[in-house]
Amino acid sequence: MSNTRPNCVLHCQGVSHWFGSNRVLNNINLEITAGQIVAVVGPSGCGKSTLLRAILGTHPPKAGQIIANGHPVTRPNRDVGIVYQNYSLFDFLTARDNVAFGLMLDQTTLPERLFGYFQWRKLRSQHRQQALDLLEKVQLSKAANLYPHEMSGGMRQRVAIAQALIMEPKILLLDEPFGALDEATREELQLMLLRLYDENLQAKAAGQTPPYTILIVTHELNEALYVSDRVIGLSQYHQDGANGATIVYDKQAPVFKAGDARDFEQFETQKDELRKAVFTPSATRHHSEFVTFWNEHDKAFAP
Amino acid sequence: MLMVRKSIPKAWQFSLGIASILLLVGGYTVFSHGRAVRQKEVAAQQLDNVRNLLSEVLATPADELDPASLAKRQSKIHDYEAQITRFEQESQTAIDRTVPTWSSLYHDGLLRVLSPQGLKKDEYWLAEDAWATFIRLISGLGVGVALSLIIGILMGAYASIESFFLPPLSFLAKIPPTAMMAIFFILVGTSYQMYVTMIAFGVLPTLAQSIYQSAKKDVPENLIFKAYTLGASSLELIWNVIYKQILPRLIDAVRLQIGPAMVMLVAAEWMVSSAGFGYRLRLFYQRTDMTVIFVYVLILGVAGLVADYLLTLLRRKLCPWFGD
Repeated sequence: MSNTRPNCVLHCQGVSHWFGSNRVLNNINLEITAGQIVAVVGPSGCGKSTLLRAILGTHPPKAGQIIANGHPVTRPNRDVGIVYQNYSLFDFLTARDNVAFGLMLDQTTLPERLFGYFQWRKLRSQHRQQALDLLEKVQLSKAANLYPHEMSGGMRQRVAIAQALIMEPKILLLDEPFGALDEATREELQLMLLRLYDENLQAKAAGQTPPYTILIVTHELNEALYVSDRVIGLSQYHQDGANGATIVYDKQAPVFKAGDARDFEQFETQKDELRKAVFTPSATRHHSEFVTFWNEHDKAFAP
Repeated sequence: MLMVRKSIPKAWQFSLGIASILLLVGGYTVFSHGRAVRQKEVAAQQLDNVRNLLSEVLATPADELDPASLAKRQSKIHDYEAQITRFEQESQTAIDRTVPTWSSLYHDGLLRVLSPQGLKKDEYWLAEDAWATFIRLISGLGVGVALSLIIGILMGAYASIESFFLPPLSFLAKIPPTAMMAIFFILVGTSYQMYVTMIAFGVLPTLAQSIYQSAKKDVPENLIFKAYTLGASSLELIWNVIYKQILPRLIDAVRLQIGPAMVMLVAAEWMVSSAGFGYRLRLFYQRTDMTVIFVYVLILGVAGLVADYLLTLLRRKLCPWFGD
């Protein structure tokens, strides 16, 4: 890890994965630093989920290493948060308790809660207050006492995001989080991500470490370019010779503010480029042309 | 033809439910009452016959008989008089107890099981039997549920435990528990411990399997991964996630196992006990006296309904998120 960048929260080093003779991921190298919102796009079946599960630690890669927050990832842990498309919440907890759940699991142990009951009760009311504050931030304080089955899909996903954010994970993984939502709800949640990014910018301006680092997997190119500041294309269509998907696209994405008009026209060119580089089976140019994020970044921030 | 699944008004649902109960009660009334009336008629007939026989015997003068015939005559008179007393009584109130009337159920059944019986008037049948059966049932179910919960949850949580326990559980679940009774009687004896062991082992295979299925299916993999990202330890995962998620299913599974547990318990009490519902049922079955039996059957049915309802209430209280 000698040559990682400062503030690096996620580092994939030569990650490969295969099932039998079917190679799914091939030599993935990826560095994500604090404060980035990275969108991952790719043709279906290209191994996005496999990569996500490897980063999460539930299915470690067969080759290579993944380092989150300086530690190799071997199993799911509190440094890497996750929001799934479905089944994101615990049915038996209200919205508020779902959000407070992580604080309880993280800060106390079962014996502590059993044997230090009164201490735990005091801590618990703090946790519940914290959860309520966060729910207010995602505009859900009214739903605090509802159970998941009483909420709409959009509400559930917002609670799920709050549930993950309260842990202050080093990196938050969103696995097609808005895939099952209707258009209006989807836009609302995209705006929520933009507001989080805005907080990152403010923190950076104040000289602090930006709080939210997010990796979002999506199949919507518009969404990818709209909510992220960096777009990564994962694809099996490349001229490497090896089978298996690798990173064939890595560039900056236009940054929007929550108040801006949703003007998708301005990234039409980049969208075309993405389609050609990531989604076209007969790739005509070598992918190194499109993996330029850190070069551009280093040039821009050269002393 | 009536359309399938056509809904009917609430009032109709209610009335039909009431009607079925009335039909049951009414049918029994007609049947038992009819039997009683017939019995009284038969008794009256027999009373007439015996009275005629008696008057015939009395008509023959006594002073002309030799001592042997005289003794015979006396014994006949004695015999007829006894029969007359019995038939007189029977023609007033039927004493056949195979299909007792409601009043007989009340007087000879309910009042008898509620009031003190026995030579010393210190036996309260219903209280003693209910207590004996209840304690056996509760302890057996308690042990069975606790063991099933541990085995079932661990099976749902760890693949190695799953592989270890699944074959014997699937096998044991297929053996009718009543067929195992002989084994329990011999190995554990016929004490209180035997009932507990028998019920616990009887409900365990089915209960553990349903808890295991629920722990596996009702807790999606993603939820488990998620809990780990929230900082859960494996112990917390089992207690705070898996157990909480399957609790409503557990309560329902227990509710469904009360029936089979009672089958085993009453059958075992019938065979070897000296207290409890099964014991008393056997006793009165041997006397073909259905008064107490019908009362006990009714009580068992009502107790089953109450237990069912209480567990449903418990589930609603503990798992408001589960709905109905």
